Amino acid sequence: MAGQILFFALAVTAIAAGVGVVWSRSPINSALWLILNLFCIAGLYLTLNAQFIAVIQILVYAGAIMVLFLFVIMLLNLSEMPSVTRFTIARLFGFFLVMGVLALLTYAVAAGLDVLPERIVPAAAAVSGSPSTLARSLFTEYALPFEIIGILLLAATVGAVIIAKRKPV
Amino acid sequence: MEMTLNWYLTLSSVLFITGTLGFLFRRNIIVMLMSIELMLNAVNLTLVALSQAAADTAGQILVFFVIAVAAAEAAVGLAIVIAVFRGRQTIDISKIKSFRY
Amino acid sequence: MFEDYIPFFIQLAIASGLSLTLLKGGELLGPSRPNRIKIMPYESGMDPVGSARQRYSIKFYLVAMIFIVFDVEIVFLYPWAISFQDFLAAGVGLEVLGIVIVFIVILAIGLIYDIKKGGLEFD
Repeated sequence: MAGQILFFALAVTAIAAGVGVVWSRSPINSALWLILNLFCIAGLYLTLNAQFIAVIQILVYAGAIMVLFLFVIMLLNLSEMPSVTRFTIARLFGFFLVMGVLALLTYAVAAGLDVLPERIVPAAAAVSGSPSTLARSLFTEYALPFEIIGILLLAATVGAVIIAKRKPV
Repeated sequence: MEMTLNWYLTLSSVLFITGTLGFLFRRNIIVMLMSIELMLNAVNLTLVALSQAAADTAGQILVFFVIAVAAAEAAVGLAIVIAVFRGRQTIDISKIKSFRY
Repeated sequence: MFEDYIPFFIQLAIASGLSLTLLKGGELLGPSRPNRIKIMPYESGMDPVGSARQRYSIKFYLVAMIFIVFDVEIVFLYPWAISFQDFLAAGVGLEVLGIVIVFIVILAIGLIYDIKKGGLEFD
């Protein structure tokens, strides 16, 4: 039961944060909502037994990509940016409280309809998302896609340098 | 088992639709890029859930590649945003008609 | 699966709840008598001049972008480092090492290009 409530809490918060990304007037608020959404999805990966994916979700997405986004927002320093709504801890508490109540309600409705999520039990032994399991297929079966990703990242580096360093016309 | 997968797929479709709506209706390029990240995340969630249900690590490997592509996309996309902004001082997509300044 | 991580989530909830409670508690319980001098960014230093929001140089963006690329590289190398012994035991250690070295060389080309272009020079 605790696992199911956990799923609903993460799912409801993820959806609310996703709506927040789209709804916020200020790009900074959108970015902060997106970070909350990424953390919730990382929690969902944990419930799916994909530990390594959950960790790199936080490392790469929340840690690096979102830093780049916030960075560009500050780099551009938009003068017409709408003022950010005042952030208070009370509002944060309120948000999580409302999400918790909504998650409980969803859980109750799902329990009433008898469609609660159960563990995904695969036919074979459970797939572990540990790094060594992933490495076994990543570096043997998927070696060529792995190298192509290297070329993609190289192209991204070169392209971004060329585009960003060009002198303004 | 069937039921659980449905819940994960429902969640990811809701997130994907949210991202699509954000991409279609926002006029700020940076928020549009963030909506794309939202959509990519919804797809990743689907991949991980299906990989778990099918007892196959291929889905999780694919998530690796999607994350790498997302990083490259964010780097180049934001570089383009910076270049466009330097030329015309706006990131409102409806005010940008062409790449040439 | 679900149940294995419940202690982790409980700890997460307690840690974030405690820190937020302490922050809010300090704000509510402590006396607060702000005046114009007290709320200045440097209370006993220089008077602030101009706006705090200034545009940064493009160099910072290039550094952040290179950080992302190499962050992703590390994410790919981590599973390899974890199971290096397994690959050796399976007799494919050297082949996998070759694959990884090719990957690193491909990314190093980008870094060298960036340094040649002067993307990392601050002046």
